[in-house]
Amino acid sequence: MRDLFKEFTKGIIKENPTFVLALGLCPTLAVSVSVANAIGMGVAATFVLLGSSVIISLAKNFIPNKIRIPCFIVIIATFVTIIELCLKAYSPVLDRALGIYVPLIVVNCIVLGRAEAFACKNNLISSFFDGLGMGVGFTLALILISAIREFLGSGQILGHTLIKGFEPIFVFGMPSGALLVIGLLLGLFNLIKNRKT
Amino acid sequence: MNIQEFLSIFISSVFIYNVILSRFLGLCPFVAISKDTKQAFAMSAAVTFVITAASIVTWLIYRFLLLPFNLAYLRTLSFVLVIAALVQLIEMVIRKTSPVLYRAFGIYLTLITTNCAVLGAAVLNIDMFFVNGKAVPGSFYYSVFQGFCMGLGYTLAMLIMSGIRERLELCNVPSALKNFPLAFIIASILSLSFMGFSGFKF
Amino acid sequence: MINNLIVSGSPHIHKQESVSRIMWTVVLSTIPAGIAGVIIFGLDALWVILVAVIAAVLTEAVFEIWSKKKVTVMDGSAVITGILLAYNLPPNVPLWLPIIGAVFSIAVGKQVFGGLGQNIFNPALVGRVFLMASWPKYMTTFVKPLSYDAITSATPLAALKEGKILEHISYLDLFLGKRGGCIGEVCILALLIGAAILLYKGYISWHIPMTYILTTAVFTYIFGAKQLFHGDWLFHILSGGLILGAFFMATDYVATPLTINGQIVFGIGCGLLTAIIRIWGGYPEGVSYAILIMNAATPFIDRYTKNRIYGTS
Repeated sequence: MRDLFKEFTKGIIKENPTFVLALGLCPTLAVSVSVANAIGMGVAATFVLLGSSVIISLAKNFIPNKIRIPCFIVIIATFVTIIELCLKAYSPVLDRALGIYVPLIVVNCIVLGRAEAFACKNNLISSFFDGLGMGVGFTLALILISAIREFLGSGQILGHTLIKGFEPIFVFGMPSGALLVIGLLLGLFNLIKNRKT
Repeated sequence: MNIQEFLSIFISSVFIYNVILSRFLGLCPFVAISKDTKQAFAMSAAVTFVITAASIVTWLIYRFLLLPFNLAYLRTLSFVLVIAALVQLIEMVIRKTSPVLYRAFGIYLTLITTNCAVLGAAVLNIDMFFVNGKAVPGSFYYSVFQGFCMGLGYTLAMLIMSGIRERLELCNVPSALKNFPLAFIIASILSLSFMGFSGFKF
Repeated sequence: MINNLIVSGSPHIHKQESVSRIMWTVVLSTIPAGIAGVIIFGLDALWVILVAVIAAVLTEAVFEIWSKKKVTVMDGSAVITGILLAYNLPPNVPLWLPIIGAVFSIAVGKQVFGGLGQNIFNPALVGRVFLMASWPKYMTTFVKPLSYDAITSATPLAALKEGKILEHISYLDLFLGKRGGCIGEVCILALLIGAAILLYKGYISWHIPMTYILTTAVFTYIFGAKQLFHGDWLFHILSGGLILGAFFMATDYVATPLTINGQIVFGIGCGLLTAIIRIWGGYPEGVSYAILIMNAATPFIDRYTKNRIYGTS
């Protein structure tokens, strides 16, 4: 049980896909304009991670080693298509906001990376927790970045104004603000790491 | 189909919505390979070639296979597979026909299979140039041209970045910011400067 | 006699120049434009300049103390960054705007790259485009010249972009600075006095400013009007930030090419981009974007315009 807990928590801090492994940055930067988008993206990616991890760990004995990557991609793409159709049906607003970044979950390095590095070698239950941990870690990182960007860029978080009279810094709602925030955050993490050693 | 449309596709995909600096596609190789100009150029050439080829193939598949059989929801799945197969095919053809070219950018081709810029361009073409499941007039040419221009934008950002990062090797950069963080900060300033092109009208 | 015979490596003959001497001379050369700005727009302009300079110097000092480097605020380079940033702001902005701009200029435009002599981009312009993207409302509200009571008026270039006719502004008005605009860019006469000091002392060469201004003039002459070859090129030279940019910002030592050929390429590139943005872009003025983009291309220009080393092919 403790091992499973470890599989779950490692994705959140020690091997955080965004800040430590620097994987899957494309959607992180693109959809972090607002916290609502970030949560939507995080949930979608977590769903795909969970589904593909489970199926791949179940099917790992049937997949010939030589064509495993194409097989992984087909499995991942299936889950992406499911989430795409669900979004279109139940939340067209979110679907429009996330745009092309939903289909792009297919080529998100985190998903394929976990399939290749973990799910195809481990059993169902640890793959499930690994996928869940990575998904939650990704979602938390997204929420952190988007909270910074939404607050600075519009003075609000989830539509609530925090400080009255704060002049929003529009640049943080723009692509260059996203790059700046992620650059400074990565620098901050390095600084903390350097201090520790 | 007119020349102005092509011009605005050019400006918007190279500068305003630059594939790296504004759409954030293909960031991983952008920060990983942009340290050396030669490698950066080879990688960008490979990406431009594959994006253009993928734009052609995915458009044909969407228009003549997926739409007539009402299979548009298989877009993501089929595009990913087709792009992977296409990259393999290009790699084999280049290896057989031109060993020189293969040595120049062959190794980057395998990396491109899961490059989000390629799939992103394909999906974007479909989103922009198909309205309500019908191709807009000139859709095929726009798609191919837009794919090519996104490749050009990728090349531009890669080259500028690699030039800057080669110079930074000589600079006394704060240790916490070395490599990744600084690459993002530079990209941010580049993105700010490219904003000068926003709102282009001819 | 024997005391003068020192054995040392080259260079053997030193000139009485140093970084701080050059930088303070550049500061001196920007003063006429600042005085003109204060005369034209009133004391508001003076506060903006002072606040920007103080914020820039303090930020530089804080960063250098924090990273345990030698504190070099007295070399004047942070002062120049502050001045140039202020010159690129409208005179009636709230005073927190130049403070944030100066902090951003020094922190992200300069210290991130390792400080003096290592910046890739012109720090003042980095600050300006950041402010422009963040608070466009403040950055594009200009006041009427010589009125001193915050009557807003458009800059000539902005009016041109909106298609208004500008018959009441003569070339002489533009030359002397009787128009709406940023603090340091309006008075061409004062800017030219400063530029003359720098050229006379040999601190800047004429290659970048001349090619920059000429390219903009030629391009706006050809494409600036509905008909080819009918553009008002003199208007384009005298309005906007072209003169300020060409002489004081496109000539930054660090962020521009080393060789003369490279500098000519740099100037032409700046001129083309400025003219293109002015004529077809969404912004009325393109000087800061043009210079920043060419700054980014500088390492590349340097590589292809190296001087041949003697004895090699």
